Formats: sequence, C-alpha cells, structure tokens
Amino acid sequence: MTTENSAPVSGSIMVVGGGISGLTTALEAAEVGYEVFLIEKEASLGGRVSQLKHYFPKLCPPTCGLEINYRRLKDNNSIKVYTLSEVQNVDGTPGDYTVTVKTSPRYVNSNCTCCGECEKVCETEISNEFNFGMDRRKAAYLPHNMAYPQRYVMDPAMGTEDREKVKEACKYNAVDFSMQESTFDLKVGAVVFATGWQPYDATRIDNLGFGRYQNIITNMMLERLASSNGPTEGKIIRPSDDKAPETIAFAQCAGSRDENHLPYCSYICCMASLKHATYIREQYPDAKIYIYYIDLRTPGRKYENFYAKLKEDENVFFVKGKVAEVSEESGTGNINLVAEDTISGDKIRQTVDMLVLATGMQPTCAIDKPTADLTFDEEGFIINDFSKGGLFAAGCANKPADVVTSNQNATGMALKAIQTLRR
Amino acid sequence: MSANYIPQPDLEFIAEIRGLGGETLKKCYQCATCSVACPIAPENSPFPRKEMIAASWGLKDKLISNGDIWLCHNCGDCTDMCPRGAAPGDVLAAVRSAAITEYATPKSLAKAVNDPSKLPLMLGIPAAWFALLAIITMGFGGTMEKIFHFLFGDALGGRLHWSHAHEGAEHVIAHANFVSTWFVDMTFVPLSIFVTVVFFLGLKRFIVDVHDNAVLEGKTDKTSLDYKALLMSIKNVIPMILKHDKFTQCGTNKERATPHMMVLFAFIGLFIVTAVCGIMLYVGGYAGPYPQLNPIKWLANIAGVALVIGSGLMIKSRLTNKEQVTTYKDWFILGIVFALGVSGMLAEMTRLAEVAWLSYFFYWIHLIAIFNLFAFLPYSKLAHIVYRTVAMGYADYANRK
Repeated sequence: MTTENSAPVSGSIMVVGGGISGLTTALEAAEVGYEVFLIEKEASLGGRVSQLKHYFPKLCPPTCGLEINYRRLKDNNSIKVYTLSEVQNVDGTPGDYTVTVKTSPRYVNSNCTCCGECEKVCETEISNEFNFGMDRRKAAYLPHNMAYPQRYVMDPAMGTEDREKVKEACKYNAVDFSMQESTFDLKVGAVVFATGWQPYDATRIDNLGFGRYQNIITNMMLERLASSNGPTEGKIIRPSDDKAPETIAFAQCAGSRDENHLPYCSYICCMASLKHATYIREQYPDAKIYIYYIDLRTPGRKYENFYAKLKEDENVFFVKGKVAEVSEESGTGNINLVAEDTISGDKIRQTVDMLVLATGMQPTCAIDKPTADLTFDEEGFIINDFSKGGLFAAGCANKPADVVTSNQNATGMALKAIQTLRR
Repeated sequence: MSANYIPQPDLEFIAEIRGLGGETLKKCYQCATCSVACPIAPENSPFPRKEMIAASWGLKDKLISNGDIWLCHNCGDCTDMCPRGAAPGDVLAAVRSAAITEYATPKSLAKAVNDPSKLPLMLGIPAAWFALLAIITMGFGGTMEKIFHFLFGDALGGRLHWSHAHEGAEHVIAHANFVSTWFVDMTFVPLSIFVTVVFFLGLKRFIVDVHDNAVLEGKTDKTSLDYKALLMSIKNVIPMILKHDKFTQCGTNKERATPHMMVLFAFIGLFIVTAVCGIMLYVGGYAGPYPQLNPIKWLANIAGVALVIGSGLMIKSRLTNKEQVTTYKDWFILGIVFALGVSGMLAEMTRLAEVAWLSYFFYWIHLIAIFNLFAFLPYSKLAHIVYRTVAMGYADYANRK
C-alpha cells in the first residue's frame, strides 16, 4: 500500500489475465504504488479458481482467496480493470511498450445492481461455458455468484425482441445496447502475461471415450458438479440418468505425460483427484472410488499427508496402471474400463457408474498465442527471459502449477516488472 | 514371482537390445497402456509391459526364456498408443532377435548373421562354392562320369548316372548343365541335416526354459512338462498360424498379414515342389526342366510370383512405415527372400527366352540366396518360424489365454 515514505515511482505495468496469478501480480505491483492495467478477456475476474469447489489441500472454498483479493482491488486506486478485453498487440521495448487492447461491449453499465430482472424476462438461452456446457443459461446473465465486477452481461446472441424486453425490465437504466466494441492503446513499461490454462480437450484422447459415452466426464466437470453454484447445485450425479454414482473411477494422466497429447506432467491432477475423492466421500459415504494411476505425484509434506490420509480410507482404492481402454455397458450407461494392475500383473476389467478423466492443463498461450516478443517452449509455455526483461509470464502461462506456486511465482513477476521500470 | 528370485541385471544385454532396434526401451515409465492396447495379450500377466521393465533393468533371464516374446506378432498397436514413444513392439522384436542368437549353436555364426560387416562373407562363400561347382559341372563332366562309374559301377541296375539330363538334353537349357543336380543336393541335403540338428539343440533348451519361466511367473497351470501333450498343442495351433488368426486381430500393422501369408504359403508351395521334384528325379528318373503344362510347374510358378509380390510388399511397407524400426536383421531376411524369388523367376524366364548364360547367372544368384536362407535359418530372423510355432504351441498347452 502506498505510504508517504514510499519511493517515487514511474511507468505503468500491464497484467494480462485476471485469474489468481494475474490478480496477485497486479495487486502486489499496485500496492507498492505502480499504476496497473489488468486485462481480462472474460466478463469477470477470478479465472479457473472461481470454478472450483475447494482448494487443495485445505479444502476451503475459493471465495476465501478471491474475496480477499477483490477487497484489496477495491481499496486500490492504482489498478484499472478491463473485463471482456483482449490484448491484440504488444509493440516496443522494455520500459516502453504500446499495447493495443480490444474491449467487447457488455451492454450493461455501472448502474447495474444485480437485481436479476433482466434475466427473468430474457428468453434466449445459451450454453453455459462456466459449467462446461453441462447446463444452459439466459443470454442476460451474471457470470457467477462470485463475479467481479458484480454486474450482468448481455450476450450478443440475444435477439431483438429480448433486447427490448430486458431494457424495459431494468429499473436502473443499466442496459445499453448502443455500446460498441472499442480498440485503444495503452503505454506501459512492462507486461506480465498471466493467461492461465485450458483443460486439455478430452475428446482428443481417443481411447478414453470422452464425448462418446455420457458417463465419462473430466475432472473440471466434476468440480462444477460438486460446486454449490454449479449445474446440479452441488449434487454429484452422473450425466446420463442423474443417478448417484456408487462406483467412480479416476483415470490419471488422461492426456498428460503423453507424447501424443501433452508430453509434460500437469502437476495438479493427482491432488485434484484426491480432492475429488473427498467430495464424493462426503456426499456418498458408501461409494467406492478407484484411482488408476501411473504414479501419484503429491509433492511436499502437505500434499503427501493429504495422500496418506486418503490411503487410509477403506472406500478409496488405488490401482497402479493407466486406464487404456473404455467402452459403455449396453443398457445401463455404465463404463467398462481396462487396465493392467502392474503390481499383480493382471489385466483388470472393471465396470463403474462413472469415469472421471484427470485431464491436464494446456497453457492458454499455446492455443491463443499473444502477439508479442515472447519466447515459447515446445509445449507453448512462455519462457521467462530475465536478461531481456520487459515481458514476463506468471502462473500457468509459464509452467503447470497449483494455486500456491502460481501465487508465489506471480509475486516474483510483479517484482520483475517493477525492476524493468526502475533500471 | 517367486520370493527367492534374485534379479541379475545385465548391462551388456541392455546395450545389445538397444543395438538390435530397441533403442527406445529406456523411455518406458510403466504406465501399462501397452498391455491393454495389445489385442493378443493374455488376461493373466499380459505383455509387453513386464517385458519392458525387464529390458530396461537388463533382466536377460526374464526375456530370453520368456515364451511371451514369441506370442507378440509386432502389431504395432502398443507402439502406436505408447505415451512415451518407447516402442514396445520394436523392443520385443529386438529381444526375439537376441533370443534367436542365444539358442543358436554356434553362437559365433549367429552373431555373424546379425553383423552387416560380415555380409560380403555370407554371400561370398556360397558364391565361390557354387562357382566352383559350376566349373566342375561345365568343364569336367567326363571326369565326373568316370568317377561315378568307378564308385558305383552298375549299382541299381546301371541307373545311377552322373548326368541327369534327359533325352535330347543338348537342345534345351537345363540348370543341371550349369550346376549338377548331384552337387546341389550334396550341398543342401547335409545343410538341412545341420540346420535340423541346430534347431533340435536350440529347442531342447528353449522348451525347458519357456516352461520354467512360465511356472516361475505363474503363467501356466502345468507343473511338469509333458512333451507328448505339447506336441499335440503345437499341432493344434498350426491351422491358426496358417489362417493368420492372431495377425488379423492386430490394428496398426494389420496390412502386414496379407504379404506375410503370401510369403508363408509361397514357401510351403515351393517346399512341395522341391519334394516332388526330388522324388521324380531320384525315384522316377524324370529330370527337369518340366514343361509349363505340368501341374507341378503351375504350383512352382504361382508360389514364385507370390513370394516376389509378398516380400516386395513387405519391403515397401518397411520403407514407408516410419513408426516401426527396421534394422539390419529385418533387411537381411527380406532382401534374401526377395532376391530368392526374383532370381528364381528370372532364371526361368531367361531359360524360356533361351538366353543360356543369363539364365545360368540368375540360377547362380538363386543358389546363393537359397544357401543364405537355408544355412542361416536357425540364426536369422526367419528362425521365428520354429520358435514362434513352438511358443504358441506351449501357450496352448499351458492354457495361457
């Protein structure tokens, strides 16, 4: 926080991405007095973390960390947040960049009180990508109950008739369809890319049947199912018939550590599946959980303890062997899976109610490459070139990481950005 | 696995496997995708995951004497799905090559067959040998006739002659006029006996080892080895081999089944032709070349064409398939089989075209190719014809499904 004793500062910092890493970088830099532009492509900050039910290993909800950060954000005048905005181009040299930003219209101004009247009258429905398309939402929507800013969004897909209706329903004159897309330049001394990650597209893992069989879901989908603000209000039920699953298997390394997909370890999936086991155990005390793995990677004392605790659970079974073949049991929608238990050396054929693919993370910047003077590794992560300075990557734009590591890394990158401005 | 098992890592063996086409074996991280991907692996102790760890630890004893390496047909499904590019299919092919060498006597000959620098010698010795026999046949026919008369006199009622040329032979081109049929058989009959003995010695150890390994690893319900029952099982699997049942279960390299079938049936056809010709010559006194209308000639021609096409397709697929490793051992045997087929067909065609010297030249090449195929049968990749058949028979005997 700026105090009267702080050193005079000059120049601004841009942070691309308003997830947990970007928020941290932005806040750490702003709290020592720097002007920060925080660019977020979605309608709300929060990123992947806001989709979670719990963090591991503490099993506390993400409102926890996000709430504190939003509080800090509101208290700080040095940060300018641009939602629905994307960086189009970065030009210049360390200390002197011109960044072109494009902002899409929200069609809702700051008068919005989140009363929800617009949502009630809107008839157009769109797929809810926040829940990975597991449900639909109105074209007039609040991104989620933890949205920052707390403001509705009007999807461009909304029809003319609906547009009239929502305008009429809004008592605060907050809906404004005259808003236009705008492109503008910002002058900054350093840019930190905290563009985060995408769940790897599970339909590409041919042998694991995602997209072919309804009761095969991804770990992030389970996260949404288990969340109270998710499509089922927190009930973990299988997609085909809303049945409470009695046996659930997890296929670890689904697409990770695999030359045919993501050659690297995605770092979080082992802990995520162990965490998911706790969700299921809590909801269904008698459900049997089978975790098929190559090796469980739970680094550090805290994660090891978390794993050790689950190993003691009599309803959680660990099978050393990767699920390599799946099919659907006709009539029931159950999933047949095949693996080799490498401890016993026998082939295992098991039928489960639901199979969860522990898919990994692909850096967003690998799919949507920023136009900037950056160096990427083979997998599309940004390599930090500290000798060159100016442009940096924080969090999962730089490497697969958990929230703790992302925050530590993001804090470090705030310092690197500051160093660029002051040398 | 027995509690008393003490692993014996063999670093040289790891290097050997890597050199034989298993370069990637250390990439394996034991996820076991391969064991599930394999369409022909048994439910109990499936391969090739366990073979991969044995290979990377250099556990020679767990691989050489492991019958499972022979159940693998190199489908390529495991290699295709391997997340690490460890290519289990190629590693198992390399292990099989090492196993062939291990069961061969003398081992030095097996090593020479797998050594590209020895190729000139492998081709040169039979080339010189058949050249010498050709010189004797063509230049010293009279002397040989005298020697024959001196040795056998009027034995068999005077039916035993040096020359096998039939009436009016001076007007036809006969390969017997280039290298005498006697010389050909005096070369290949002892060679067949030698090859049989080498295989017998190899199999004697092989069967016992495969059984011991299966008992140790719990892959069989049989505790003792019943040779008679094993023989019956081998008989059971032969129709399956002929139909290529296992091959057609494969995914990735499925198209290999047809060329392989063509080559196998071509060899069976040519074996029948050779046997019939031998009987006709020595019992019936009827010498070649046969007219084109003779049914045995039809069989010979069909088999010859199938051999050329089949081996040609195999070479083509090896050249185009970048996923599968092809090493010297593969090229050697494919080259020999293809050369054998082509030289045989060319020798016949040039004979019919009445270009004697060219026909003799191709026959000479043909003889060299046959020698390489035959003499090195227990040492080359082609030994799989014996080991795989026996291993598949053992799996049937051991109820390994």
